[in-house]
Amino acid sequence: MEKVKKKIGSFSFWNWVTASIIFRLILIYFPKNLNLSSRPEVSTPLTSFRRLAEGYWLKQSFMSPYAGSMYHGSPLLLSLLGPLTINRIEGQPNHLLYSLVSVIADVVSAMLIRATGQNLRLAYLRSLESLDLVKQIEVSEFLFSGDIAALIYLCNPFTIVACVGLSTSPIENMAVILCLYGACSRLIPLAAFGWVIATHLSLYSAILIIPVIFLLGCGPDSPPRKLFLQRHQQKEVLNQSKLPPRFSWGPVIHFAFWAFLWSVYVLVLCGISLKQFGGLWEMFKSTYGFILTVEDLSPNIGVLWYFFAEVFEFFRNFFLIVFHVNILFMILPLAIRLRHRPCYLAFVYVAICSMLKSYPSVGDSALYLGLLGWFVNELADMQFSLFLFCGYVGVSLLSPVMHNLWIWRGTGNANFYFATAMVYACLQIVLVVEGVSAMLNHDRKLRNLITGKPQDAKS
Amino acid sequence: MAETKEKSLSDEKPKPRVRPIVRLGIFLISHSFHFSVVCCTAGVLALFLLPVLAKNTYISENALMPGSASPMLSNQHVSDGNRLVKDLTNPNSKSSETGIESHKIIAQYMLDLGAEVSFHKFHPQMNQFHPLHFFSSPDSGKIQENYSCSSYGINTVGIIRAPHGDGKEAIVLVTPYNALKSGFGEALSLGIAYSVFSLLTQVTWLAKDIIWLVADSQYGEYAAVAAWLREYQTPKFSSLSTPNAEMCPDVNNLFELKGHSISGSKFSNSFRRAGTMASALVLKVRDQNEQFEDTISIYAEASNGQMPNLDLINVVNYLAVHRQGLRVNVEKLWSLLNSSWLKSLGEIFESLAKVAKSLYPKWKFGIPATEYVEGTATLASSLYYQALGVPTGPHGAFRDYQVDAITLEISPKFSLDKVWRNDILLRGGRLIEGVIRSVNNLLEKFHQSFFLYLLTSPSKFVSVGVYMIAFALLIAPLPMVAASLYVDANSSSNCSKGDSSTPSAITDTDEHSIAIRSWRWLNSAKLVFIVHLWGAIVSLLPYFISQIPDCSPTTSFMIWVLLSILSLLTLNSVLASPLACAKATQEKEWALVKSVTISSVFIGLGLMSVINFATAEIGALLMVPMCLLAQPLKLDVRAGTLRSFCRMICNLVLGHIAFPPAAFFLLKGMLDGFGNANVGDFWMWVESLWAWNSATYLFIGMVQLPCWVLCISILFHTC
Repeated sequence: MEKVKKKIGSFSFWNWVTASIIFRLILIYFPKNLNLSSRPEVSTPLTSFRRLAEGYWLKQSFMSPYAGSMYHGSPLLLSLLGPLTINRIEGQPNHLLYSLVSVIADVVSAMLIRATGQNLRLAYLRSLESLDLVKQIEVSEFLFSGDIAALIYLCNPFTIVACVGLSTSPIENMAVILCLYGACSRLIPLAAFGWVIATHLSLYSAILIIPVIFLLGCGPDSPPRKLFLQRHQQKEVLNQSKLPPRFSWGPVIHFAFWAFLWSVYVLVLCGISLKQFGGLWEMFKSTYGFILTVEDLSPNIGVLWYFFAEVFEFFRNFFLIVFHVNILFMILPLAIRLRHRPCYLAFVYVAICSMLKSYPSVGDSALYLGLLGWFVNELADMQFSLFLFCGYVGVSLLSPVMHNLWIWRGTGNANFYFATAMVYACLQIVLVVEGVSAMLNHDRKLRNLITGKPQDAKS
Repeated sequence: MAETKEKSLSDEKPKPRVRPIVRLGIFLISHSFHFSVVCCTAGVLALFLLPVLAKNTYISENALMPGSASPMLSNQHVSDGNRLVKDLTNPNSKSSETGIESHKIIAQYMLDLGAEVSFHKFHPQMNQFHPLHFFSSPDSGKIQENYSCSSYGINTVGIIRAPHGDGKEAIVLVTPYNALKSGFGEALSLGIAYSVFSLLTQVTWLAKDIIWLVADSQYGEYAAVAAWLREYQTPKFSSLSTPNAEMCPDVNNLFELKGHSISGSKFSNSFRRAGTMASALVLKVRDQNEQFEDTISIYAEASNGQMPNLDLINVVNYLAVHRQGLRVNVEKLWSLLNSSWLKSLGEIFESLAKVAKSLYPKWKFGIPATEYVEGTATLASSLYYQALGVPTGPHGAFRDYQVDAITLEISPKFSLDKVWRNDILLRGGRLIEGVIRSVNNLLEKFHQSFFLYLLTSPSKFVSVGVYMIAFALLIAPLPMVAASLYVDANSSSNCSKGDSSTPSAITDTDEHSIAIRSWRWLNSAKLVFIVHLWGAIVSLLPYFISQIPDCSPTTSFMIWVLLSILSLLTLNSVLASPLACAKATQEKEWALVKSVTISSVFIGLGLMSVINFATAEIGALLMVPMCLLAQPLKLDVRAGTLRSFCRMICNLVLGHIAFPPAAFFLLKGMLDGFGNANVGDFWMWVESLWAWNSATYLFIGMVQLPCWVLCISILFHTC
C-alpha cells in the first residue's frame, strides 16, 4: 500500500487515480466470480449490502426496516441508497449504480484527503519556518504528503475490496474525512456536518470531536507550543506573530452550534422516515444499541465476537462495559500527549476504534492507513515498517484461507480464524504504538535541533 | 531495527538497558547463520524421523463401535449377489451399444428389493480453467451449451429409506461401472454392493438412508460421481440449466421401457434425494492381482491434500484386519522400498533407539529398520499424493462437499472357482456391512478424530501437531535471516555515511539518510511485487493458450515459455525501469531485495502450509536453501575463499534444481528414468493440475516461480 510513494516521481498523480478507478470498474464487472459482498472481512452486520437491500425491501412493504434484526444502519441510508439496491440496468451487472456510488465516494474521499494533506504540509512548513529549522531539515526533500495519502487510500487493496464488495464503509469513511477536511480548512459547518453524519452512521466516530475541537481551536498540526517559546527565548525577542495561536473558543462554540443544528436536522429526518415504525427510539435501539451490546456474534476480523460467544451470559454486561470503556480510557491520555497534532490524534483514534469496535471491517483499516499517509515526512524513521507491511499482507491473505478451512472444508475450527483476527489486532497495536512513538521522537528531534543539543543520529 | 531501538533507548539513559525480548531478538538476528543451519538441518532430520514418531491409530468416536455386532450377511444374500454378477457378465446384456441393458438389469434388481430407483443423466464436464476454485464454495457449475446426444452417461441410483430414520441422513455406497467394457472385477463389485444392499432392505437397525450409486464410468469414475453430487447438493432451478438429454431418443427409450415393465412401482424419472451424507464408500474390485492373499487398498487423498476423517479409515482397517482377515494396504512409493540409504538410515535409528533404551528402559521409540523403510515409503507417497492435490479416486468428489469418503479396492487372489467368488462376496460384503453399521451409529458427522494427518501405514499416522514441527523448523530461519539482512543493510549504509562525512556535516547527511532509511525497503518491495504480479500473469497464461485449437503439449509449453519471458521483459520495462536507473547504485540493494524476497517466501509457505501441507513441505525443501544461500556471484568471486566458492557452487546447483520445470523433470527422471522425458510432459502435468483445481498450481506459479526469479536476479546482481 505504501508502494505508491516512490512512484509519484515518475508517474503523475492523476494517472494513478485513473488507473485505480479503472481497476475498480473492471472488478465491478466480475462481482459473481469474486463474491466479495458475502465475505466477513468486507461486510459486517452494519455495512452489509444485503442487509441494506433487505431493510429497504421491508420499508417498501410498510414494515419497520429494523424488523427481524436484519438491518442496523441509518434510515437515511435507506432513503438515499435503498432505491439503488433494486434499480437495474439491462445487460449490466446487478448493482452497478450502487457500485458507482461507492467508487465516487472513494474518489471524493481521496480528493479530500489530498486537500487536507496539502493543508497539513503547508502548516508544517510554516511552523518549521517560524522555528528557523528550514535549513537544517531539507524542505526540498519533503514528499507531497497529500498526494501520497490520497494514493494510498485509492490504491490500498482494502479500500478496493470494501468498494467492490458493496459495503457502506466508503460512505462512512467519506463522512469522517469530510469532517477532518472541514476542520482543517476551517469550514465549520462542513466539519459539523461531517462529524454528525459520521457519528450517525457509525457511533465510534463520535470521539473525533476531540481532535476536531483542537483543530478548530489551535489550527492544524504543528510542533509543540513550548518549542516556539524556547526558540524565541533563545533569540530573546518574543515575536508574537510567529507564535502559533493560543486556543480560541470562538470557532469551537461555532462548531457546537452547527453540530447541534445538524444533529437536530438529521434526527428530524430520521424521525420522519421512521414515523410509523416506532420512531427514533427504535432507531437508537437497533443501531447504537446493536453496536454497543454486540448482539451479532457471526465471525468477523475483530476479536469481540469470539470473546462474547465464549463468555457466560452472567458476565456479559460487565465485559461489554469493560470493552467499551477500553476505548474511552485511551482518549484522554492521547489527547493530552498529542494535543498539538490534532490530525495525528484523529488518525490514532480512528486506528484504535477500528481495532476495538464491535463489527470491524477492512474498510476501517483502509481509512486509517490512508490517513497515515499524511504523516510520511514526520514518520520517515518509523520502526518495524517492513515487519508491519509483511504482517498486513500475510494476515490479509491468511484470514480468508482460515475462514475457508473452517467454514467450507470443515477441517479447521473457529480458533484458526480467530488466531488471524488476534494477529491482526496485534499488528494494529504495533502500528499505533510505533506510529505514536515515531511521532514523539520526531518532536524530540525538533527540540534537539532547537536547543542545539548534540544530535543523536539514530533517534 | 532492534539495534536502532537500542540506540534510541541509550539516548535517554546513560546506561543502556535493553528489554529481554529485544535482547533475545538481537541475539537471534546476530547469530542468524548458525541459527539457520541448525534449524534447517533439524527440519530435514525431523522429516525423516516422522515414521519413527508415528502413533498407532485408535478409534476416537465412541459411537462407532465397529465390530460389536455380528455380521448378518448370509449366504442367501451372497447368492443374490452372485445372480446379479452372472446376469451382468452374461453376453446378452451387452448387446446394446450404449450399455443401457445392463443399467436396466441393475435397476430391475434394485426395484425387486423394494428400493427407490432413478436414473441420473449427466454430461461429462470438459476440463475447465479455474485455479481459484479450491477456495470458493462448490457451485452448480458452468452451463455448457453444446451438449450432444452422443456423450452422456447414466448413473443408476437406488435408495433404501431407513425404517427408523427421519430421512435426514444418508450413507452412500458407490460402485463405478462401465457398461460398455466392464471387466469381471466391476461386476463383482456390483455383486458385493448388491448383496449388502439386499441385506439392508431387510434389517431393522437402519437409521440412515442408504444410497447406492452405480456410477457410469465411461467418462471416468470421478466425473460421474462429481456430476451426481453436483446435482444432489446444488440443484439447478433455472429452465436453462436442464440439459437437453431428454431429447435424445435413447434415453427416452430407456424410460418408456421402464414405465411399461413396472407400472406403479417406485421408479421415478426425477432426481431422487435422501438426507445429508454422513459418509461415502467407493467400492472397487481389481481384475488382476499378483498378491498371494486377499488385500484391500485404501485410497483417501482428495483434492488439495484433504483427507477424510481418520476414524473412517480406522473403522475400515479394524474391520478388515480383525474381522474379515483381509490385508490392508495404503499406497507406497515402491521405488523407495529397495533404496539402501533409507535402509541404513533406518538401521541407524534402530541402533540409536537401542542405545537409548539401554540407558533408560522407559524410552521406547525405536522401530525396526524394515518397518522404517516401509513407513517412509508410505509417508512419501502420502506426501506426494497430497502435494499433487489431485484426488486418488472418485471419493475426492465427496470431500468438496465436506463428506468423508474413501475408496476401497479389493484385490482378491485370482482364481475362477465359485467357492472363491462366494468367499470374496461374503467377506467384502461383511466388511461393507460392518462399516455401514458403524457409520449408522453416528449421532453427529465425523468430527472426533483427525482431518490433518499423514499415514505411514494403515494403522499408523502422523498428526498435524507432529509434522508441523518439521515444517516450522525448516522455515523458522526465514524471518530471522530477513530481519538480520534488513538490519545489516540499514546500519551498514548508515555507518559508511557517518564515516565519510565530517562531524560538522553529520546533521545534514543524517537528516537526509533518515528520510529514506526507514522506508528504503519500498524499492525492493516494489521489485518483489512486480515479480509476483508477473507470476500471477504466468499462471493465467495457460487459460489463453489452452484455447488455441490443435496444439501439441510441446508447442503449448514453448508458447507459454515465450509469452512468460515476453511479459517479464514488458513488466520490467514499464514498471521497474525508474527503479533500476535511480537506485542501482545503492549499496547493499541486493540485501534488501533478498530480505523482502525471504519475507514473501515466508508468507507464501506459511499460507500454503495451511492450504496444503505437503506442497508447502516439498516447496520449502527446495526454496528455503535457495533463498537463504542466494548472494551475488560477483561478491563470491571477488572474495575467493573456500567458503564463498562452496556457496557459489550451491547457488548454481540450487538455481538449476529449483526452477519448477527442472524440478519436475528431475523428479520424473528419478521415478521413471530419464529415457522418455519429453518437454511436453510438463505442460500435461500442469494441465492436469489446473483441471483438478489444485492449489499446487497456484503455489508453483505465484510463490515458487517468482522466488526463483528473484533469487536468480540476486545471483546476477551487479554490486
